[in-house]
Amino acid sequence: MDDTPHAHDLFVFLASTAHDMKNSISVMAGTLEGLLDGAPAATGDQPMAPMEQMAQMLYQTRRLNDNLMQLLALYKDVGTPAYPLDIALTDVAQLGQQVAAGNRVLLAARAIALDIVITPGLCWHLDEDLVIGVVNHAINNATRYTHDRIRLSISEHEGMLEVRVEDNGAGFPPALLAAGATAGRARAVDFGANSAGPGLYFATEVVRMHTHRGACGAVRLENGGLLGGGCVVLRLP
Amino acid sequence: MITREQAVATTLQDVAWADKNYLIVDDFVGVRQLLRESLRNLGARNIDQASSGGEAMGLLGRIRYDVVLCDYNLGDGKNGQQVLEEARERNLLNPSSVWLMVSAEKSTESVMGAAEHQPDAYLIKPITEGVLLTRLNRVWHKKQVFRPIDEAYAQKDYLRAARLCDDEIAREGGRVHRIDLLRMKARLMEKSGQPAKAREAYDAVLAEREYQWARAGLAKIRMANGELEQARQLFQGVIAENRYYIDAYDQLALAYQQMGQVEEACSVLERAARLSPNSVPRQRHFGQVCLKLGNIGMAEKAFRKCIAIGEYSYVRNADAYLGLARVCGLKNDPKEALLLLGLAQREFPTDDVRLRAKITEGMVYHESGDYRRARKAGDELEQMLETSPQRPDTATCLEMATLLFAVGVKEAPAELLCYVVRNNHDNPLLHDEVQQLFEKARMGEEGLLLIRAAKKEATDLMNQGVLLWKTGKLDEAIAWMRNARAALPNNLRILFNAAQILVSAMQQHGYKIMLADEAIEVLMHVDRIHPGQQRFAQLMEQLALLAPEAPPVAPAEAETDAAEP
Repeated sequence: MDDTPHAHDLFVFLASTAHDMKNSISVMAGTLEGLLDGAPAATGDQPMAPMEQMAQMLYQTRRLNDNLMQLLALYKDVGTPAYPLDIALTDVAQLGQQVAAGNRVLLAARAIALDIVITPGLCWHLDEDLVIGVVNHAINNATRYTHDRIRLSISEHEGMLEVRVEDNGAGFPPALLAAGATAGRARAVDFGANSAGPGLYFATEVVRMHTHRGACGAVRLENGGLLGGGCVVLRLP
Repeated sequence: MITREQAVATTLQDVAWADKNYLIVDDFVGVRQLLRESLRNLGARNIDQASSGGEAMGLLGRIRYDVVLCDYNLGDGKNGQQVLEEARERNLLNPSSVWLMVSAEKSTESVMGAAEHQPDAYLIKPITEGVLLTRLNRVWHKKQVFRPIDEAYAQKDYLRAARLCDDEIAREGGRVHRIDLLRMKARLMEKSGQPAKAREAYDAVLAEREYQWARAGLAKIRMANGELEQARQLFQGVIAENRYYIDAYDQLALAYQQMGQVEEACSVLERAARLSPNSVPRQRHFGQVCLKLGNIGMAEKAFRKCIAIGEYSYVRNADAYLGLARVCGLKNDPKEALLLLGLAQREFPTDDVRLRAKITEGMVYHESGDYRRARKAGDELEQMLETSPQRPDTATCLEMATLLFAVGVKEAPAELLCYVVRNNHDNPLLHDEVQQLFEKARMGEEGLLLIRAAKKEATDLMNQGVLLWKTGKLDEAIAWMRNARAALPNNLRILFNAAQILVSAMQQHGYKIMLADEAIEVLMHVDRIHPGQQRFAQLMEQLALLAPEAPPVAPAEAETDAAEP
């Protein structure tokens, strides 16, 4: 780690700039949500054009936010991964509520249904903010490729917590599936080759930080699942 | 007190968020407007806003808020954590108030901080309306579960609070608060002087998951037990696992200091201060260790940083000013030192700071070779001792005695050291330290006699009280212990016995508010000067059982639980 005073000043500058950007994004996202929420609900086949554009802006705003959050989380210490991992026992159903609450407006505006299926009473040791960040990003990504439905399911599977975000779109292209297959093992993800690069990289880092008795988490991409489209699968020890 | 049934009923209903009082604190007007809109959509009508920490303090001083949404970064002035600390320290919040700390990102301080005052939740921007409502409901329900425990905690009835934790764990089994309940229980057991039970709670946590705070908790228990090497290894293990777990560095430095390895302590603190520089206690600790090592440059830097970050903090104190004055003295700049001492007394106008500033002044002159002015400071201190019967804490007494001996005064420091021994008559380590001071002043033999006499004086005072009590002369025993306390205001055994006699008087003859208040006053004083005593927790519990509104008193155990002679 670079401990020079210059690096520290730079960090303070970056942090305060990022803080400012976050504020702007908050206001943009909040305003767009407010406008969309007040608008008449879109019908599946014929959404009104301005509303559709606004939903598209909200989608882009959220992408911007997710990417910024990931940068901050992983690189806050000027190039050094330095996220203070904050594991706590979490009621997984509450995590699901939070995800639903965070995505409600955007999904409604695009007439996409979100099914949430979570084992009742299931609690797990995890960093909720990080996991929600990954799930939100996966859902946001899925809104672009799904036909009209996204499914979030969380359950215990072979002693691990399995989080699946599935959609009923056309599924991931083969190149991405290959990147997803290696994401759990290799650190180097080819950012140029696929648009999900940073998100997948972030997800890989997040699940890796979750360790327990020698085991650590993994992430993979699949096609198929219950809805027949793309699936992002996280497994946490 | 809320019953289980009520608590459950609340969890089943939707919380009436519309009727609550809200405060939004953010320096960015756009965010304030956005949050206000969100709250209005939840039905909220009473929403106040502040754009700075100072403005927030003004509002918090006038209005009791149910919900505070406070940004961590508030530009110049106080930050969100400092606003929270001051609000809690000044009792401007109800126990049921919800404090949500908002930030652009999660900071090391927020997760790894050993900060005493934690918000109910951290929210990361951007905050949508749905997320806000979800988090408010969740925090509210958690508060319901912890409410009886928090109440007992606030009354310092730690044993009852710990039992309530057990009840809740037994009731909710595998539910989501189990780990937090175990953590709370461990903390309560530490405060009750029962490290073995605290260890059990930490072990239960670790059996389930490796939590660094639990590992560090075990290490702290080892350290308190004098197992310094084991504690050192445990702390280093925690740091190896997570180099951002700052609390482990602070504790590791303490372990090194107790092992006499001051240089190692210093380098650990240096690393910690680099990782997380904005902590007043850490910079103060770092400065003091540097001063001990004679590293004037680093000490100066640490104390200056400490003063700068403490500027807006409610919990700051005069230590950094006094330390910096010592640094100036060692740099042969007594003028600057005096300016700082003057500043310290203006910023903290208490008798204690006045006294300690005078001691530091004497030391500064003495170290810079101005023996005439050092002696003058010594004479002034002697006068202060003569005019006031009040004595400062043990560490300050020892410092003052050291200085007075150094400038050639004999009687006043000897009397001061006897006072220290009388108040700590069963602490042989301290007696050795006192004896060394006598020897340095070439009063070795005289010192031995003085220490022996002081010990006997304290023992006699206590034994007479216990004798009166055991022979059933309760009123006389109470009166005797009042006088003993006046003479030896900081003697732990005398204080505990005084409280014990008051409690057993009430157990025999019924609850009297005057006696109960007196016992509580004594016990609060004990907890202030020596926190974490087992007898404190036991007596607080017995007192709580005596109070009229409490459940029927259990058979008076205290009868057999005799005061130690």
